[in-house]
Amino acid sequence: MYRWFPVLVLAASVAMLSAGTLDTSAAPARGGTLTLVTGSDPPSLDPHRTPSVTVAHYVMYETLVTVDRNTGEFIPGLAESWEVSRDGLAITFKLRRGVKFHDGTPFNAAAVRATFDRLTSREMNAPGASWVGTLTRTEVVDDFTVRLVFSKPYAPIFSSLRISFLAILSPAAIAKMGADYGQNPVGTGPFRFKQWIPNDRIVYERNPDYAWGPSHYKNRGAAHFDQLVIRIIPDESTRVIAFERGDIDLLPAAPARDARRLMREGKFPFVQIPTTSGTYLGLNVKKAPLNDVRVRRAIGHAVNNEEVARIALEGLAVPMHSPIAPTIWGYWDGVRQFAINHDPEKARALLAEAGYRPGAGGVMTKDGKPLEFTVWTYARMTNVRIGVVLQSQLRAAGIRMNIEQMEPATLLSSTQRGEHDALVISYGWPDADILFYFFHSSRLPTTNRVHYSNARVDKLLEDGQTTVEPAKRLEVYKELQRILLAEVPWVPLASELSVNLNQPYVGDLYYDKFGNILLLDAFRTR
Amino acid sequence: MLRYLARRLLHTIPVLLGISFLVFLLVHLVPGDPVRVMLQDTGSPEQIERMRSQLGLDRPLHVQYASFVVRAAQGDFGRSIHTRRPVAQEIGYRMPHTVRLALAATAVAVTMGVVLGAIAAMHHQSALDYGTMVVALAGVSLPNFWFGLVLILVFSLYLRWLPPAGADTLAHLILPAVTLGTSAAAIIARLTRSSMLEVLRQDYIRTARAKGVPERRMVYRHALRNAMIPVLSMVGLQFAGLLGGAVIVETVFGWPGIGRLAVDAIFTRDIPVIQAVVLVAAVIFVFVNLLVDVLYGLVDPRIRYG
Repeated sequence: MYRWFPVLVLAASVAMLSAGTLDTSAAPARGGTLTLVTGSDPPSLDPHRTPSVTVAHYVMYETLVTVDRNTGEFIPGLAESWEVSRDGLAITFKLRRGVKFHDGTPFNAAAVRATFDRLTSREMNAPGASWVGTLTRTEVVDDFTVRLVFSKPYAPIFSSLRISFLAILSPAAIAKMGADYGQNPVGTGPFRFKQWIPNDRIVYERNPDYAWGPSHYKNRGAAHFDQLVIRIIPDESTRVIAFERGDIDLLPAAPARDARRLMREGKFPFVQIPTTSGTYLGLNVKKAPLNDVRVRRAIGHAVNNEEVARIALEGLAVPMHSPIAPTIWGYWDGVRQFAINHDPEKARALLAEAGYRPGAGGVMTKDGKPLEFTVWTYARMTNVRIGVVLQSQLRAAGIRMNIEQMEPATLLSSTQRGEHDALVISYGWPDADILFYFFHSSRLPTTNRVHYSNARVDKLLEDGQTTVEPAKRLEVYKELQRILLAEVPWVPLASELSVNLNQPYVGDLYYDKFGNILLLDAFRTR
Repeated sequence: MLRYLARRLLHTIPVLLGISFLVFLLVHLVPGDPVRVMLQDTGSPEQIERMRSQLGLDRPLHVQYASFVVRAAQGDFGRSIHTRRPVAQEIGYRMPHTVRLALAATAVAVTMGVVLGAIAAMHHQSALDYGTMVVALAGVSLPNFWFGLVLILVFSLYLRWLPPAGADTLAHLILPAVTLGTSAAAIIARLTRSSMLEVLRQDYIRTARAKGVPERRMVYRHALRNAMIPVLSMVGLQFAGLLGGAVIVETVFGWPGIGRLAVDAIFTRDIPVIQAVVLVAAVIFVFVNLLVDVLYGLVDPRIRYG
């Protein structure tokens, strides 16, 4: 029901997609409440005021394009069709007619412009603004035609367009609510906002006027459920117990050890969905002893990421062969032949070449100094487990690795000073362009946390943003992956799977390949 | 009495100023930056600078502190950096839940603690005494997150009597109140016991006994009431502490209280929220203590305020 490797679909010329047929054979029951659970409140229900995408946005907002759950291709959302100009500097969208916001105002080209103008405005300073890249203005061509104009071609735009950061908001509500819009959000989605009790729940009600569902749904009209509730339960164990008791209908991203047990018990239907996240061991290339590429490569060969996935992540992850996780656009399966495979012999040979000799306690030593480094990571169970597995693998190769646990905000800002040796953290984004932030020299020393700088890599990362033709763009990322695997600023570890469970009485519940819940077909069988 | 109250109230001003200054200093000393948390890895350097200036974080520290004090004195704590809600609203949402939980937990603690402590004292050095004290010791030693989860497992999952998380009904209140109350009860039980033992040795108790006052009446009317004086101040302290939030129990039971607000704010370096929560907690602490001191006089007529 999902694809492992997304199909290449970034449209260079025209992508017109037809609507699917309406399936009238089944008649799912109407009514009831669907309750799902998450660990924390979104900061805001205003997509321009939040640094992360969340299910709380996806159920009430819609984007211009979306992704087909079967094919992984971009399909019409609020836009009916789109056309990319030959020079890649403009995308023209034909918008769906008859769409209304939850406040009754019409969705049209002016709404799209108002939304994008707000997203990119200096006053708003939206965290999601970087995802429209070089967008300079949004033009209203006519009531139902809108054009995005870029100063330079910005290839990742389609990956961004389906993200809720770029969802279309009601201009009337924005004007009316001002700074309090985040507590009174208005979108076009199948559910409309009703109530938010902070740190407890967000309640939505069915949008009865909804009639513009994307083509991958059987039901393209209003949702079957009357109400949707997102419960906020911060403790993992409590979340699982609330689900097992039946207080919760849908448990997304179950914690690994409970997920294993619940899958084994077989009482609840579940899906395992690859995520667009990647966990890696980042090595500070500016600091000894990791400034020696032979040492970094030796570490790469000493690491067995298959074991990391199986032991540290309870098998609910796939090993990564590239800095780009397999689900992310830009991943290339041919990268396996360049992967830094587990090879302890090679690790030892590389260390010998770098001048290291076995010393006291089997630790490799050079000039009387043992080969030792410290990894910074979050004080989070999975990260610590990954750290411990790496520690024992490296120890076998004569490398001593220490683990220092830190709270996220501290870790992410402390790496700027470059005093760290290494770090184990994760990222998540559906497009390879994310690597720009981690390897481009303009991101030194903030988010380029391994302090890596390479002119060729800079050029490739820039080309990755401006090369609109998908096949050519993929070539850019192929070369980039080869260089990064040869220079080893990162040792790629694993990409986690998300295990989503639901109660047996919830029917026709689907997810797209990014793990977003598709709600229009879902219904309660009893 | 009034003069005493006025003096105590005046004393709170330097205390609160000192606390707010310390918190302000700490928040700015720890590594981490609310702007970076908000803009994440993809924010451009210009965006970061702009947001810093929008939030006034680019001003000198003493200017930032002064403006915080001036506005806080007028009851204006600004808006949360993370959620953009007015900070007063953030606290307002959670305070009723926190007060409810603190009251319920205190009720559990006092009931359990005083009963156990009194039983132990009256059966001094018997099996009952040791038994209740072992229970009390266990109550202090059990970590809240563990005890809470065990309660959830038993009463929510196996018996299905009570909900594991949320704050809608009275039923939701029971498990978190028992969890919090039990650890507080343990301390109260031990204090009640030692205080009762002390009182039971007093001359007036012997006199009462000699006069033939029935044992039950003697315990309730003469001993317990006098033994409650040190216990009262402990209950006051604990209650004030609970009003500052109970992070672990709130997290385990998904209780939307002030403790989680504080911890979330610390993780996101949400400076206005951190400052306001600490200040509110400090104000509550100071006032509950004052209230306890006043109550002292009611319980013990020997205490005079001057």
